[in-house]
Amino acid sequence: MFEGINKVGDFEWEVPIGYVPDMRVPGRFFLSQALAETLEEGAVHQLANVATLPGIVKYSLAMPDIHWGYGFPIGGVAAFDRATGVVSPGGVGFDINCGVRLITTPLTEADLAGKKRELIEALFSVVPTGVGAKSTLRVSNSELTDVMVTGARWAVERGLGTQRDLVRCEEEGAMPGADPEAVSAKARQRGVPQLGTLGSGNHFLEIQVAREIVDPEAARVFGITEGQICFMVHCGSRGLGHQVATDHLRVLEKALRKYQIQLPDRQLACAPIDSPEGRAYYGGMACAANYAWANRQVIMHEARKAFMQVFDIDYDEMRLIYDVAHNVAKFERHDVNGVSMEVCVHRKGATRAFGPGAPGIPREYAAVGQPVLIPGSMGTSSYLLHGTEAAMQKTWGSTCHGAGRVLSRSKAKRTVHGKELREQLAKEGILVRAHHDSVLAEEAPEAYKPSHEVVRVVHEAGLSGTVARLEPLGVIKG
Amino acid sequence: MSFEELEHTADVLMRIRGATLSELFSEAGRAMFHVMYGPCEDRGIVRQIALEAEDLESLLVDYLSELLFIADTENLVFCTFDVDLQGNQLSAVVRGEPFDPERHAGGTLIKGISYFGLEIVKEKDVYVVDIIFDI
Repeated sequence: MFEGINKVGDFEWEVPIGYVPDMRVPGRFFLSQALAETLEEGAVHQLANVATLPGIVKYSLAMPDIHWGYGFPIGGVAAFDRATGVVSPGGVGFDINCGVRLITTPLTEADLAGKKRELIEALFSVVPTGVGAKSTLRVSNSELTDVMVTGARWAVERGLGTQRDLVRCEEEGAMPGADPEAVSAKARQRGVPQLGTLGSGNHFLEIQVAREIVDPEAARVFGITEGQICFMVHCGSRGLGHQVATDHLRVLEKALRKYQIQLPDRQLACAPIDSPEGRAYYGGMACAANYAWANRQVIMHEARKAFMQVFDIDYDEMRLIYDVAHNVAKFERHDVNGVSMEVCVHRKGATRAFGPGAPGIPREYAAVGQPVLIPGSMGTSSYLLHGTEAAMQKTWGSTCHGAGRVLSRSKAKRTVHGKELREQLAKEGILVRAHHDSVLAEEAPEAYKPSHEVVRVVHEAGLSGTVARLEPLGVIKG
Repeated sequence: MSFEELEHTADVLMRIRGATLSELFSEAGRAMFHVMYGPCEDRGIVRQIALEAEDLESLLVDYLSELLFIADTENLVFCTFDVDLQGNQLSAVVRGEPFDPERHAGGTLIKGISYFGLEIVKEKDVYVVDIIFDI
């Protein structure tokens, strides 16, 4: 481990005040020895930089998938005092409410035999993916306002889903505080043609099988059984969210002098939560987050129809387990030294993992805590977990969001050939469909840390409990 | 001059070099479109950009963000970037072609231009800047 960092628990490390100048609180992160070997010093610096922000409460935190990003490290979590703290797009990222949803089906692997290719092609034809993809939906500018305020509900009211879907989304698919006035004409222009599109990079729609049930009781509550075919959607707020982040980052950057905020990194640009600039960012970010929930709802709807086209199953037999955000800032109440306090929790590449009985999680899941979804990389397992009381105490109810990369995209492309990878995965029974093989190499399984190790650490550290392991059977990519 | 991709696990880190600041900005645009779309030809599409910012780094972020916006909303891919800089004012003429899924869909979308570590420096006679593109 790097000099100056102290081990404070089996999986817990502390970055003391003074690691970088002007830290207001210490940093804490969660790692195993194995994962520590791939930790980048730049990520620890970014964690320490976050600790310099005004109004930060208790710790600057990072989950076991910590790695070097911009502004906050990826895997970074921080809470800011509602009264004295700041809000920062550097703690959310450009892809606002990038997130994941998991849906079960009544099918088994036997049902897929001989039909997997047909299913993959059906999914690929109805879900626009990749660079330059445009939606088949026609959305007016006023409808876009509704999307930004009512999120997934907009899609359900248009017949693209059911009321039950909404209950099974974080924030029920629409967070409060959305202010369409804080979304520029440019962001709207990008948002209109992209609703219902997957995007590129690590975004995907994957067919999976629940290979292993680790916690039978929680699995029963979540409604998943061994051998069940599921599908997972991973995407975000597309160009609308990227533009909202870009626009407000510039506004907040210019406002730093006005609020006399000194920063070690311009990407951490921020403003007091209760300032015109801070309120505008939050309102715009909430609009983008709601757009992302609508986006995943539309994609799920199209995928359900593709399943119905290939198999003799009903729409209602494909049950959404949950939808989680992993790039967002939200107001939440947490216990701070025995006192309930309202804070603005930033999660950048981190997942909310509220424990049993916590407010804001579906009543049907109250006994075990909220579902947490950890997507694997292409070709490796994804995981379903549940939130815990320990996460509420230690990490503002947060856990990891994914495997985290170990190879840069350029190195992955140099060492992996896209076509060969596709053929290798096909031999393993995993069908991959993308517009170009070149995009596959960047997302090769060896480019990522093993997802099982990241999941093991959050499980052992008590930040979430493993419920089920899902193996990929087929994937469509951007 | 040139651009080269450096090691960065999460995003794309590009080192851009230019004999002049104008050339540095031109190369930055070329690097960004290289990541997103790969090969591109001038097929008569022309767009003009005029911007002003409080410092050169912000101007660079604004310029690249504007190019992203135009490419995304008009389905265009650019390959040549003629940039004129006067202090913190920029005017640019960019040329390219309509997006063609057959030739351009093999790249990776850029979500935003990061400020992290963004500093234009002069090394001997060459301007250099490292840019992290979020993808």
